[in-house]
Amino acid sequence: MSTAEFESVQTLEEQMVESAAPRDLAMDARNLSVWFGKRKVLEGVNIAFPERTCTALIGPSGCGKSTFIRTLNRLHELIPGAALAGSVLYEGKDIYDADVDPVHIRLKIGMVFQKPNPFPSMTIRGNVMSGLKLSGMKRDDHDAIVESTLTSAGLWNEVKDRLDHAAGDLSGGQQQRLVIARALAVEPNVLLMDEPCSALDPASTLKIEETIRELSKNVTIIIVTHNMQQAVRVSDNTAFFLAAENEPGHVVEQGLTTEIFSNPKDQRTLDYVNGRFG
Amino acid sequence: MTILFSEQTSEESAAQKPLHPWRKKPRKFTISVALAVVLPFLVVLALLLYSNIPGALVMVIVYLPLQLLAAGITAVYNRGVRSIGDSMIVVLAIGATVFSLVILMSVLLSLVVRGIGALSAHFLYQNSVYINPSTPLEYGGIGHAMVGTFLILLIASIIAVPIGIATAVYITDVRGRAVPYVRFFVQAMSGVPSVVAGLFILTIAVSTGAFNQSAFAGGLAYAILMLPTVARTAEEVLKLVPDDLRTGALALGSTRARVVLQVVIPAARTGIITAILLGIARVIGETAPLLLAAGNNDGTVLNPFDQAVASIPVYIFNNVALPYPDAVTRAWGSALALMILVAVLFTLARVLGRGRVGKY
Repeated sequence: MSTAEFESVQTLEEQMVESAAPRDLAMDARNLSVWFGKRKVLEGVNIAFPERTCTALIGPSGCGKSTFIRTLNRLHELIPGAALAGSVLYEGKDIYDADVDPVHIRLKIGMVFQKPNPFPSMTIRGNVMSGLKLSGMKRDDHDAIVESTLTSAGLWNEVKDRLDHAAGDLSGGQQQRLVIARALAVEPNVLLMDEPCSALDPASTLKIEETIRELSKNVTIIIVTHNMQQAVRVSDNTAFFLAAENEPGHVVEQGLTTEIFSNPKDQRTLDYVNGRFG
Repeated sequence: MTILFSEQTSEESAAQKPLHPWRKKPRKFTISVALAVVLPFLVVLALLLYSNIPGALVMVIVYLPLQLLAAGITAVYNRGVRSIGDSMIVVLAIGATVFSLVILMSVLLSLVVRGIGALSAHFLYQNSVYINPSTPLEYGGIGHAMVGTFLILLIASIIAVPIGIATAVYITDVRGRAVPYVRFFVQAMSGVPSVVAGLFILTIAVSTGAFNQSAFAGGLAYAILMLPTVARTAEEVLKLVPDDLRTGALALGSTRARVVLQVVIPAARTGIITAILLGIARVIGETAPLLLAAGNNDGTVLNPFDQAVASIPVYIFNNVALPYPDAVTRAWGSALALMILVAVLFTLARVLGRGRVGKY
C-alpha cells in the first residue's frame, strides 16, 4: 500500500511538471446546457481539456457528470427527449455542427462505460478487434493489436492462452479491462471513462489506473470517478460538479488536481473532497 | 474484549461430506397419506369397473373432487388448517399438468397407432403416380408431398424471415415514427385466417395469370401467415438485447447498420432461430392456403413455378375421408411423417443454433 502510494505521488509530481507546459486543447466544452425533456440537468458548463492530459470529473451522484461525458461524443442524443445548448469543440470545431458525422466523432472520442459491456456473441479476440470491424477500419497486424491493447489494459497475461474463448466467461473485472482494450484498439484521440473502476476489485483498479497514467501521455483522458484517491492518483486537472435539489448541475470549481484537493477555493469543494458530504 | 476464532481441525474438514440441506427431506410415509392416495383411486376403479359412466367423466366429476377432498383432509390432519389451500393448489396443478400431457400423448399415440402401418422406406420417397386409393400399402408414398412441403416452406421462409426480422429491427432499433402503426398492423396480420391468405394469393397471383398454382404461390400464401409470427417473436428477442451493447458499439464509431448486423442480431441469435422455428410451426400444417394456391399433384414437382404441387397437409386432406382403409392409413402415416419432420427440423435448428461464439 505504502509503496504504491509513494510511487503515485512521484508520478503525480512528474505529471505536474509536464502539465505546467502550455498545451493545445483536445476538447473544449463551452457554455454547455443539457436537458432531458423539459428537465434541465446541466447549466453553463465550461471545461477545457488540454491535449494529452487526464481530467477527473467528480461530484455527488445525480449532478450530471455522466450526462456531461456523454455529450462529449454525441451519445447523449440517442436518448429520446434529449436536448442541448452551447458547443463542444474538438480540434477547434463544434462536434454538433450540422456537417459533422457522429460516427466519425465517436471513432475519435472513445468511451468506456460504468458497466462492462463486452459483445457476448464474440470471443475475447473478437471483442478487441470489434471496434476495427464495426468502424470498417482495415488493419493487418491483428495479433499485434490484440496483444498491445490487452497488455495496456492489464489483461494480457490472464487471457493470452484463451483468446478464442467467449468474452462472457470472464469475470466482471476482466470484462471491464477487455472493453478498455476494445476502446483502445481503434486508437482514439480522446478516451471518455464513466466510472470505469466502480465494478472492479482493488488490484484491477490499480492496473487500470496505471493504464490511464500511461495512456495520458498520448491520449486525452476524461474520467468520471467517485473515488477521490483515484482522482488524485490519475488526473492532472479536476472539475467538481454539484447540483442543488431540483436544480441543474453546474461546475463549482475546476483547476489543477493538486489545487482542488489541497487548496480548494470553494467551501463545498473542500467539504466534498474531504468526504463530508456526497 | 478478544474474539477467539476456533481453528477448524483438518481432520474435521477432511471428514465432511457433500450435503444438500436445501433439498426437501424425504417425507415420512404416514397412513393418512397412503389413504389419501389409495381411497380415491379405489373408488374410481370401482366406478370404472362396475358402472356405465364414461371413464373421462369419472375422472373429472368424481376423481378430481375426491382427490382434492382427500388432500385437504390429510393436510389438515398432518399440518394444520393453514396448509389446506397449499395442498389443494398442488393437487390442481398436478391435475392440470397430467390433463394436458394426457391429451398431447393421446394425439401422438393415435397418430402412431393409426399411421405406423403406412410407414416404410418406400412410403417416404416414392410418389403417388399410378397409385389410386385402393392400391395396397406396399406401393406408393408421399415423397412428392414431402418435396412439395419442403419447397413451399423454403420459399415462404426466404420471403418471410428477412422481412419479419427487418420489421422487428425497425421497431426495436430504427425506432421510426411509424412504430405504433407497424406494430398494430403486424398484430392485425397475425389474426388473418389461413384460408384468407390462400384466397388472397389465388386472387392476385393465380387468377390473374401471373403465376400457376405452384410451390411459389403456396409459399407466398404461407409467407403471409409466417410474417407476423416471425416479426413479433423477433421483436421480443431483440428487445432483450441490452441497450448497453448498442451504446457500446456506437461508442466504438460504428454505424447503426453495423450495430444491428454485427452486435444486436448475433447477440440474439438463438432467439432469432426460435422466431424462425415458430414461424415454420405456425404454417407447416396449414391446409387451406395450399388447396387454393398450390393445388395438388400425384407426381414429384421440383420446379417451384411450373405447375401444381403436392404437400403433406393437402395429401392428408385428400386421403383421410376416402372409403378405402389403406388410403386412410396413408393419411395417418403422412401425418405421423409430418410430426417426425417437425421434430427433426426443430432438433436440427436447435443444435445448429446452440450458443457458440463466432470467430471475428
